[in-house]
Amino acid sequence: MLAAFLAQAVFAEEVTFLLHWSHQAQFAGYYVAKEKGFYQKRGREVVIKRGGYDVDGRACLTEGKPVFCTTMLFTALEDRDKGLPLVHLAQVVNRANFTLVAWKKNGIAKPEDLQGRRVSLWLKEFEAPYDAFFKRYHLQPRKEPQYFTVNLFLRRGVDACAAMYYNEYHTIQQCGIDPEELTVFEMWKHGFDFPEDGIYCMAQTAESQPDLCRDIAEASLEGWVYAREHQEEALDIVMDYVRRGHVPTNRAHMKWMLEKMLVSIFPGPGDKWQFGVLSPESYDNAVRLLREQKLIKNAPPFEDFHRAIGGLNKIEPRTASDCHSRFRGNDTVSK
Amino acid sequence: MLVNRSIAARMAVFVLVGAGCILGAIIGYSYFAVRRMLMEELRSEAEYMAKAAVNRIETVERSVEKIVQGMAIDLEMSSLSTNDMYQLLRRTLEENRAIICGAAIALDPANGGITNYCAPYVYLDKGQLVAKDLGAGNYHYDVWDWFNLAQKLRMPVWCEPYFDEGGGNILMVTYCYPVFKGDEFYGVVTSDVSLEWLADMLAKISKDIGGYAWLISANGTFITHPKRDLIMNETIFSTAEAHPDPALRAAGRKTGQRMIRGETDFIPFTSVVTGKQGWLYFAPVPSTDWSLAVMFLREHLMEYIFGLNKVNLILGTIGFALLLIVALAIARSITYPLRQLASATRTMAQGDLDKALPEIKGEDEVAQLASAFDNMRGDLKKYIVQLQEATAARERMESEMRIARNIQMDLVPKTFPSRKEFEMFGLLEPAREVGGDFYDYFMPDDQHIFVFIGDVSGKGMPAALFMAVTRTLLKAICRVERNPAFILRRLNDGLAESNDSSMFVTLFCALIDLSTGECKYSNGGHNPPFVVRASGAVTSLPLTGDVAVGIMPKMEFNEKLFALQAGDTLFLYTDGVTEAMNPTGDLFGENRALEELRQTHGATGEQMVKSMREKLRVYAAGAEQSDDITMLAFRFLGEG
Repeated sequence: MLAAFLAQAVFAEEVTFLLHWSHQAQFAGYYVAKEKGFYQKRGREVVIKRGGYDVDGRACLTEGKPVFCTTMLFTALEDRDKGLPLVHLAQVVNRANFTLVAWKKNGIAKPEDLQGRRVSLWLKEFEAPYDAFFKRYHLQPRKEPQYFTVNLFLRRGVDACAAMYYNEYHTIQQCGIDPEELTVFEMWKHGFDFPEDGIYCMAQTAESQPDLCRDIAEASLEGWVYAREHQEEALDIVMDYVRRGHVPTNRAHMKWMLEKMLVSIFPGPGDKWQFGVLSPESYDNAVRLLREQKLIKNAPPFEDFHRAIGGLNKIEPRTASDCHSRFRGNDTVSK
Repeated sequence: MLVNRSIAARMAVFVLVGAGCILGAIIGYSYFAVRRMLMEELRSEAEYMAKAAVNRIETVERSVEKIVQGMAIDLEMSSLSTNDMYQLLRRTLEENRAIICGAAIALDPANGGITNYCAPYVYLDKGQLVAKDLGAGNYHYDVWDWFNLAQKLRMPVWCEPYFDEGGGNILMVTYCYPVFKGDEFYGVVTSDVSLEWLADMLAKISKDIGGYAWLISANGTFITHPKRDLIMNETIFSTAEAHPDPALRAAGRKTGQRMIRGETDFIPFTSVVTGKQGWLYFAPVPSTDWSLAVMFLREHLMEYIFGLNKVNLILGTIGFALLLIVALAIARSITYPLRQLASATRTMAQGDLDKALPEIKGEDEVAQLASAFDNMRGDLKKYIVQLQEATAARERMESEMRIARNIQMDLVPKTFPSRKEFEMFGLLEPAREVGGDFYDYFMPDDQHIFVFIGDVSGKGMPAALFMAVTRTLLKAICRVERNPAFILRRLNDGLAESNDSSMFVTLFCALIDLSTGECKYSNGGHNPPFVVRASGAVTSLPLTGDVAVGIMPKMEFNEKLFALQAGDTLFLYTDGVTEAMNPTGDLFGENRALEELRQTHGATGEQMVKSMREKLRVYAAGAEQSDDITMLAFRFLGEG
């Protein structure tokens, strides 16, 4: 059996796991799954590749080889609308982290204050929740593109910028800006709480290799469960990835990010979602929003979009995550 | 506890403590003075070094700014082809290869309506100029800060430093200059500067000051730091955030904020990275909004100060030891005679006053004390002799008084005739050893009896002597006289005749006819006796209106008569009975005496007298007897 396992490991086809951003704790679970051998023990050889603006994900996906990727639900829906046959395997992040961070000093205290202001956003893919937010408050801000850094915001080139609660919001604080200097608009508090990171692959892969899909999704989720239970070890692995990838960041930031990710992934008391699962209701909400925003024209039915892979129950977390009470406690109430 | 120690030990302790305080104060002062001086020196050294370093950085950066500005002006003024751009870049790099290591002209991809990524780039690779197009392969260079910031801020920008992954992982910083043609954005001119020399420069400063220096960017990111891991990965705020101590976290964050605000200061600081304490000098690098920090380590400073103070400390310790020896020697020399005196005093206390005190030279306090001791010894000796003499004299006198008392007591009769016609009993208790009271009786014949009671004025020996004279005279007179008034008159004359001491005696004299009970009496100023009738009635005998005996000669005395029935008692007493006092000073009084006599009527004379005496003792309740107590009870039985 061992020999069979080894043979499978050695000769297994190399599978690419494409992240949608550069290496960071946002992807801790996948690194852990790889480093702790959760892919390997299922006989899968996985290569994790970073994403970002300088990486053409679509090209990678359409090369023909089996490729799995993480992406936001919105992005996936837009891609589907544009004809990229992506299918959803597992929903990792079920709670939104999109925020808009603004300078209090520039007189921004409420959404209306953003009217006509310069706001930098990740254009295209991660724009949808902000557009919905602007629409809701009838705002026409002057949009600027935002890429890898928030330096344009820090140098007061814009009045507000997009910031993931787990990432840029903390980066800004790590540049010496106190939270008191900022007005933070949490999108999920304004009614735009949508699932974020999920695991996807091409429809063709899902059809031809359902076992592979199941293995990758299961191992990835197992990685997240392990990361939650061994946060320091997970952080060590993350730091290893960021160092090797020459990502300029630090452990304190990765720690913040991991903590915020975990509470977005594992449901706490009062949370309605299920770990790893995209509910048809959340899907429908997302579709409705994107349609309203005219970001997509058509969307596949949930059954077509999501491929049930089964076996997820095996890696259901044993207990409700205790990190919930430590972090987003207030947010839960306000939702 | 110190109180129990010897004077020498206490002196030594006090001197040492005093000297120790002074020494401590001097060392403390010198420590603080040196420290303050050093801090001032440090501050100016820090200022000098930081300014020198900042100037060097500024010189380089201003040069870079000039170079890039030059290219930007070329682009703005003329319309250059891509080749021209490469030429411009090559020429610029060739001329300034000592300063910059790469330059690019990145055109706005959106310019001209079609997306076109074109960015001629020339850089130094191992001394060779290499050219390439950053936009080749549709590479989206506009996502990077060096393009985006210049474009959006519409002003020249020093980007955050970065590690050039392609070029040997060298720390670089890029200066970007937006170019406008008219009002329209045209592109960005950039120049890359290697920052490796910065690390070398700061390493040298670190070595010179025995501390370390670091440089942070406008975002607080470490550009150089002795811990290379921090560079580009950590900000001064992230290192503060990771520190477990909340106070240091806050202090680190605050310092970081002051630094990126461009402030200059010299403050005590504990590094959140190394945990080391010291003083931090920070100053801004104006062109790039960076901030330079120079950290002086406390341990180095302390080492230096301790070195300076070490000599003080050693000298102080030696001085201290010498002081201890001297203090002990002085203290012992002072206390030596005291100890001798103490030993001599102990001998003296045992009674040996003849032993000479140790000789103490000089005139100091101890010598004075010794002299005073010697005087005291002499006086004590004299006093003891006097005391012995006085005691002997008193003892002699007391013994004489005792004898006198015995004689006096012998003078009054203690036995009384035993007859069927009467029975009698007398008692004398002097207040002092020799008193002036007396009683007596005399039977001139078988049918008559004289009874007397008297009280001589004054107390003690003179009174006793006077009493003796009185009694002798009385006895003599009674032999020839049968009349109480005559007896008193002759006694008066006898006593007054040669009475230089002006003494007198109160005297009651009665002659009782034993066959009839008829009684003739004369009273020379004495308390009137009581007659206790057999029936229990008690009366005092009427006075005869006469004064005391012996005051002046040729006095006449009256005589009175009364009759005693069988069973009646004549009770004679002196004022010691009626004037006996209780502790509060109240007199016993005649009424109490009368009452007592009434109670004891019918008793024998002895019973009556003893009962009265007991009554008096009870009444006195321990109070001192103030006067002689004398009583004589004559009970007439009438069976003659």
